[in-house]
Amino acid sequence: MMNTLKLKKGLKSAASFFARSTAFRVGIIMLSLILLLALLEPVINGYILKGKGPLKTGVFDKYLPPSLEHPLGTDHYGRDVLALLLASLKYSLLIGAFAGLIATLIGTTIASLSGYFGGKVDLILNSVTNGMLVIPSFPILIAIAAYIRLDLITMCLVLAIFSWAWSARLVRAQILSMKERPYIELAKVSGFHSFEIMFLEILPNMAPFIIMGLINSIMGAMFAETGLRVLGLGPGEIPSLGLMISWALTFGAISIGRYNLLVAPAGALVLVFISLNLINIGLEEIFNPRLKKITGL
Amino acid sequence: MTSKKRILRYMTKRVIVYVITLFISFSIVFLFLRLIPGDPITRYLRMLEQRYSYSMEMLDIVVKWKAELGLEGDLFTQYSRYIQNLFLRLDLGPSFVAFPTPVQDLILTRLPWTIALLGVATLISWSIGTLAGVILGWKRGTKFDSTLFTIALCMSQVPYYIAAIFLVLLLAYVFPVFPSRYAFSPGVQIKLSLDFISSVLYHSFLPALSIVLTSAFGWLISARFLTISIIGEDYLLFAQAKGLKANRVLNRYILRNALLPQATGLAMSLGFIVNGAYLVEWVFSYPGIGGLLQYAINLVDYNTIQGIILMSIFTVLTANLIMDLIYPLIDPRIRSGER
Repeated sequence: MMNTLKLKKGLKSAASFFARSTAFRVGIIMLSLILLLALLEPVINGYILKGKGPLKTGVFDKYLPPSLEHPLGTDHYGRDVLALLLASLKYSLLIGAFAGLIATLIGTTIASLSGYFGGKVDLILNSVTNGMLVIPSFPILIAIAAYIRLDLITMCLVLAIFSWAWSARLVRAQILSMKERPYIELAKVSGFHSFEIMFLEILPNMAPFIIMGLINSIMGAMFAETGLRVLGLGPGEIPSLGLMISWALTFGAISIGRYNLLVAPAGALVLVFISLNLINIGLEEIFNPRLKKITGL
Repeated sequence: MTSKKRILRYMTKRVIVYVITLFISFSIVFLFLRLIPGDPITRYLRMLEQRYSYSMEMLDIVVKWKAELGLEGDLFTQYSRYIQNLFLRLDLGPSFVAFPTPVQDLILTRLPWTIALLGVATLISWSIGTLAGVILGWKRGTKFDSTLFTIALCMSQVPYYIAAIFLVLLLAYVFPVFPSRYAFSPGVQIKLSLDFISSVLYHSFLPALSIVLTSAFGWLISARFLTISIIGEDYLLFAQAKGLKANRVLNRYILRNALLPQATGLAMSLGFIVNGAYLVEWVFSYPGIGGLLQYAINLVDYNTIQGIILMSIFTVLTANLIMDLIYPLIDPRIRSGER
């Protein structure tokens, strides 16, 4: 009984999210479609490739134009571009999500410690966070990727180390403003331990902001991952949208007019970024009512 | 305390923090690069061997080169020598590929290109974005506002290099209006002539546009947000009630108040701008720092890679310091120490 009530309430609030922000609605629909494509990758690729791997070269003729059989054509090694695109999309999203999750975990932990202890601890952790934000991390990432052979997991870890600061800053700012709210004052006056206040009162209310931080971190990680791959760094045996862009640029697909090789991965990336950004803005509109008035969408 | 003393104290504090941050981040980068397993010179020689079929007595060369390239001794000796060379002689060590040219010389020949492209593009996009954001905020709720704002929402998070790729496709290949690569035409001589300047401007249009197109929308969103929250303030209502002209309200009350947070945002995002710009240079084969970095990575030139990282950090931190030092001039609150 209790559970169905909760479920109903949950569904209702999800529905009201949808009603309250156009940006959120559009973003969620876009992202769901993208995720669906990535999830259906084995099925679609099984159909196109008949059991061969998407990276296997010489399966079809080189540089075929888009057709019914190959909706996005084939590339310089005779690989089906749609199959490559779906596999790349899957891995790009996977790396982004995994790196983003680790980054958010680090960021939220640092922000909570900062907010919980305050004073000197906050000063130190906050300057570290700001330092990470200010320092251009991309050249450092490049150096690491140039000297270490990264696999899927180390890649995620390295990306996470360089993208946690965004969520740390966002969550810290919210914790600081939440500490001033009346109900926290009330909890303090009623003799709650500050540990209880931090983890029982403040953090649960932070969920939407942690999710925003997560989305920021995912975008940051995908930005960096794609950048590395465009430069031709990172694990070569794992397909990625950035790697596809790198191939299209280095093998001269543009100069012979095969724009599809470049437009497909770049377009997919743009759609992913736009959908994530719209969800973020939507969440901000919903949970930051001052902003809702402002965006007016 | 007089206000002059206060400003002086504020500035000294900022400069001290700057020096400490610079020192710490340099040390971290240095140690971080040394933690990477594998010897950079062996790696470089192996690359030469594989690609250009050089076969050399590896070990001898490694030992000899270590001394010449400043990679000799234990971690602490290397570190103290590096820091000394860097801070006392501004020396980043010799490049591997262009030995014995020091890395700072390589960087200095490339730096003007990056600074010109990035500086101009950033200033243009910041000004356009801020101004457009203030105007949209002022005219909020109109059709014009909602259309442009929706576009901005979608565009603001698209990475620079993706925008660059689409612009190259559209304006250099599908409609060949602009050149797709290089900073000037191959035939033009580098001198202060009309030919050279027009060629540079012509070639820089697409890379600059890709930076402006994506980042201006970000500034637009934040400026619009600031404007609308300023419009809700009492002093603005008072200004309007006094019967001030709309132009004056917009200029003196809104734009001025929106500028400071926007400037802070600019300083904060410099690192991010630098990150994205390297890849834009790569897409356009632009002869700036991004191009040098790509070249250095390709040839595993350790000293050059390290030099570029340190230089980027130095630039971003220094730009932040300059911003911090200019604040008291634009914000009277810091001047009087109210913050």
